[in-house]
Amino acid sequence: MSECIVITSGKGGVGKTTTSANLGVSLAQLGHRVVVMDADIGLRNLDVIMGLENRIVYDLVHVIEGECRLKQALIRDKRLDNLYLLPAAQTRDKNCVTPEQMRDLVKQLKEEFDYVLVDCPAGIEQGFRNSVAGADRAIIVTTPEVSAIRDADRIIGLVEAAELPEPTLVINRFRQKMVDRGDMLDKADILEILAIPLVGIIPDHEEIIVSANRGIPVAYDPESVVGEAYRRVARRLTGEPEVPFIAEQPTGFWSNIKRWMGMSPAAGAV
Amino acid sequence: MHQLMRRFFGTQGSKNDAKSRLKLLLVHDAIDLTPAEMEAMKAEVIEVMSKYISLDRSEVDFRLERHEGEIALVSNVPVRRVTARAG
Repeated sequence: MSECIVITSGKGGVGKTTTSANLGVSLAQLGHRVVVMDADIGLRNLDVIMGLENRIVYDLVHVIEGECRLKQALIRDKRLDNLYLLPAAQTRDKNCVTPEQMRDLVKQLKEEFDYVLVDCPAGIEQGFRNSVAGADRAIIVTTPEVSAIRDADRIIGLVEAAELPEPTLVINRFRQKMVDRGDMLDKADILEILAIPLVGIIPDHEEIIVSANRGIPVAYDPESVVGEAYRRVARRLTGEPEVPFIAEQPTGFWSNIKRWMGMSPAAGAV
Repeated sequence: MHQLMRRFFGTQGSKNDAKSRLKLLLVHDAIDLTPAEMEAMKAEVIEVMSKYISLDRSEVDFRLERHEGEIALVSNVPVRRVTARAG
């Protein structure tokens, strides 16, 4: 049974593309056949995050307009042979594709793949409508900021209006130290406001910049805390119950002492 | 030092500002009422209530709140006494 999941947020710059790439890698590592589709026509970037920008010949618009076969446009990942990218067109715009065409395309992809991940563009216009058209469910990416959560709330309403089931939430750029000193909205604050199930908390870390520089998603790095956070999202998505969240251990003075004395689990367990 | 002061004097971090601003913002995004319309509604509701009960208009609290994604109109109306019914 294959599934199409759209990764969306409303606001730009919260980490939709990074999340799409890393979930693609993580789901493929679990053995699933995965395609990540860049639906940001005119501003494609998923290819860059995945380090596949030099391999693009055909794109999503070529497929839709019948200029090539679907298989010609799919780019196989450098490391995993069960992970593929369907790139967006760079020189066209969102209005050259309709929701019906996207639905057909997703249907074709679902015949070949277990998971079709759609990297949705920012905004609530045509690009959003195209991205949700073929989706079975949605993941909302937000950061612990007023503006991102406000937009997430709006997108949750639009996802429900599109008759998709209740979406799930990924909180990105989470900084436990700021939460501990009361300068960042905590998991509970965000969930109280958005009231949808949580599937991931991704810590804010320099690794993300380094991985974007190199075009190698962090989920490839078995040592990476951020990579581990994404791998856990993938496990939750595939139905594994009770995968603990990262960055939940308190990092205050007393908990550090307790940890040091072996009274609570080590920080390395996050 | 700033952190230490906060710990001693119990001043709260900026997250509480974020949370209260966000809640207000989301209610107004969802309801799409201008502050003027909100005031007009409040005045009309008070008008209706004051036909039946005696109340101090300046004491009436009237606001939109949000809990777990649901929006509620929350009002606190201190009643002075029941007005003697005419007739």
